[in-house]
Amino acid sequence: MSRFKKIILVVLPPILFLLVFAYDIIRATVNLEIGWLDFAREAFIIVAFVLIYLFLESSRGNVKQAATRDVGRLLIVCAVVLSIVALIGFVGPGTSNQDEEQTSYSAMNIFLSMILGLCLGWVSLRSLLTIKDLVLFKRKKGTKRNLTVYLILLFCSVVPMLPFFSLETSLLGTLFFGFTVAAIVANSFRQSWIVYLSRKQKIYVIVYSALLFTGFVLLNVLFFEKTFTNKALLAFSQPLHRFTQLNAIFGAVYFGMAFVSTLFHLPTAEVFERKQFEITSLHNLSRLVTQVFDFNDLVNTVTQMTLEVCGAKSTWLELVKVDKENLTSFEIVSAKNVTRDRIEQINGGDQSLLRNLVIESKKYLLIEDVSADRRTKHVVAEKLLKGSLLSIPLISHGSLIGILHATKEFEYGFDQDDIDVLTTFADNVTIAIENSKLIARSIERERLQQEMMVAQAMQRRLLPEALPTSDKLDIVAVSESSAEVGGDYYDFIQLPDDKVGVVVGDVSGKGVSAAFYMAEMKGIFLSLSAICASPKDLLIRANEALMGSLEKKAFISLIYAIIDTRVGTVHIARAGHCPLVYLSGNEVELVRPTGLGLGLTNGEVFVQATEERLIKLREGDVCIFYTDGITESRNANGDEFGSERLVTVAQRSKDRTAEEIKNEVLQEVRKYVGSPVIGDDMTLVVIKWLGKKGVRV
Amino acid sequence: MADFKIHHREGEGVYIIDLKGYLDAHTAPDLETAFQKLLTEKKYRIIVNCRDLTYISSAGLGVFMAYIEDVRKNKGDIKLSNMSAKVFNVFDLLGFPLLYEIYTEEKEAMTKFKTVKAS
Repeated sequence: MSRFKKIILVVLPPILFLLVFAYDIIRATVNLEIGWLDFAREAFIIVAFVLIYLFLESSRGNVKQAATRDVGRLLIVCAVVLSIVALIGFVGPGTSNQDEEQTSYSAMNIFLSMILGLCLGWVSLRSLLTIKDLVLFKRKKGTKRNLTVYLILLFCSVVPMLPFFSLETSLLGTLFFGFTVAAIVANSFRQSWIVYLSRKQKIYVIVYSALLFTGFVLLNVLFFEKTFTNKALLAFSQPLHRFTQLNAIFGAVYFGMAFVSTLFHLPTAEVFERKQFEITSLHNLSRLVTQVFDFNDLVNTVTQMTLEVCGAKSTWLELVKVDKENLTSFEIVSAKNVTRDRIEQINGGDQSLLRNLVIESKKYLLIEDVSADRRTKHVVAEKLLKGSLLSIPLISHGSLIGILHATKEFEYGFDQDDIDVLTTFADNVTIAIENSKLIARSIERERLQQEMMVAQAMQRRLLPEALPTSDKLDIVAVSESSAEVGGDYYDFIQLPDDKVGVVVGDVSGKGVSAAFYMAEMKGIFLSLSAICASPKDLLIRANEALMGSLEKKAFISLIYAIIDTRVGTVHIARAGHCPLVYLSGNEVELVRPTGLGLGLTNGEVFVQATEERLIKLREGDVCIFYTDGITESRNANGDEFGSERLVTVAQRSKDRTAEEIKNEVLQEVRKYVGSPVIGDDMTLVVIKWLGKKGVRV
Repeated sequence: MADFKIHHREGEGVYIIDLKGYLDAHTAPDLETAFQKLLTEKKYRIIVNCRDLTYISSAGLGVFMAYIEDVRKNKGDIKLSNMSAKVFNVFDLLGFPLLYEIYTEEKEAMTKFKTVKAS
């Protein structure tokens, strides 16, 4: 509504009433015989009340949501008006012992009758508004029509009361009065709003409607002829008198009916409420389903809804937790109106008496009277609980995943309906919890996959992009990893004085941690290779560096060789890694200097164990570095490829290029495994010494 | 994949773990659990009998590394016995014989424990 309209609605009625008041005063002193002025006076009153009506209507909320409150407000209005009327009746002049003619002519009386008219008009309009909304609460065919009929009849019985109509017309008005009362009765059967009230609201409504009925009856009594109010009102405005009277009758009849009707509805209120709650619960179940993304939210909603669904005093939810050692225990995930310590005591402490009863039977446990039941003796002694207790198991695929408990303050608190509702509810809770777990698991899997991809990318980047270039060496390297991230690592480094460093290693474990250790290894290798002249020295220092940072159960096996291309020598040391396959002429040797894996032990033991070998290369010599993925490849029978087969195939192809040797070996492994897919990581570095002249074979 | 099984035996104050099958990244947690249990029960004299162990991966080896420190700190030991040549080779490659006592027979390991106890 615009501001302008509002101002009109607030300002105009008082002005109109002031005019009416002024006119009445003048009329009381000077005998005016101008008919149209009377007409104008009535018109002013009508307009003023229409404006008041519009104002009242515009300032009302939605009655459908708060019918009880609206009725309550009407009651207040009614009470206020009644007290004003009573006050006026008390301070106003008595009617019986005063001259009747005088009554309407004193200024005081004029003022009082106007106040009375205003008040009664106000309460009439207010009650009309409330009743209109209540009648139209649930529309059926004819609901609106009946109300409209009433309003028309009301109009018809009020209009003839205007002063300039003849007596006959006003008799017609009296006839209409009868019809209007009939319409009132018809409309008073529209009480469907009561059905939708909660039990508590119904109790309020009973009180309100009883009081309102009394109030309106009192108002009706006022209209008996002898009262001051009646006379004053008649003097003020006859149409208003009629209007008020009819509305007071409507109020009395309607709220009288409402009272009776609510009274009859009261016994079924709880049933209706429950049905309504079941519907709300169904809606809430969908709330459960959407909340599965946050487990804590979910369990809190479950307990909250348990409280709501059956009106429990306290409730808690415990879920079965399986730890690493497959031992099951119960964890209280959510509790309402009860402390966790108390729950443990109620459960029966370490013996978990109540819990065990539910676990064994896998059916709900109902204790009607905690203080009289032998199963809850322990509870009574400690005065932990009184009333009744209901425990419902949550069962998924035949196994118990948790228990939902609810207590009520009084004995025999849970009826069959409660049990039915809660059992159904528990089923839904089970599904929601299972879903929540599934989602958590799939999120976890997703996360792991993501991690794996990061690790794979990291691993690829750790391997060298280019091979060292030397015209005296023919080098190839390959590292194939299985679906997951493996721990194989190889690297080359160009050292001063035409030396080349070759490292092949294997980090224990797989996945992200392997990739991480591999990165660490690369860093250590790159920095140490620049300062350590001998492989043994490098391994000892690398071990020292790694001891502090590796997990207890993680270690790295490594083989490190420095090839001096100027003199054709290989210095080699091994830290627990697969030996070097060294082919020279027709000879083959698995070069295996002693040494411990990195990260196994520190200090002297490692230093003592590490040995360094020197190999003098001859033209055409081949060095094959590999990881255990090669020798541990299995065939269908589960037998390993083994180092013998590796040696055989190497020997067979040793006169060919490094690339060809590598291919031969891989082909042989694949042939042996019987599938192109390898189960583990394998790394192969083949280095062929082309001789001092650097002639390719 | 072949099964992995762990059996426990207790004899003369020494706790014996029998391993069977494949000990790899998938089955290593089982062995970890077994060690963990012994340590919580304060049983620090342990023999791992590898008679029926057919394969051990680096993850499997890692399990021994994870617990040896705690066991030795408590004046106990993890001794290994009855390894097949193939399994021994894996241990040997990594230099385990320098860190662990590996016996061909469980009895020898037991005797060793007793002599230590006597001394």
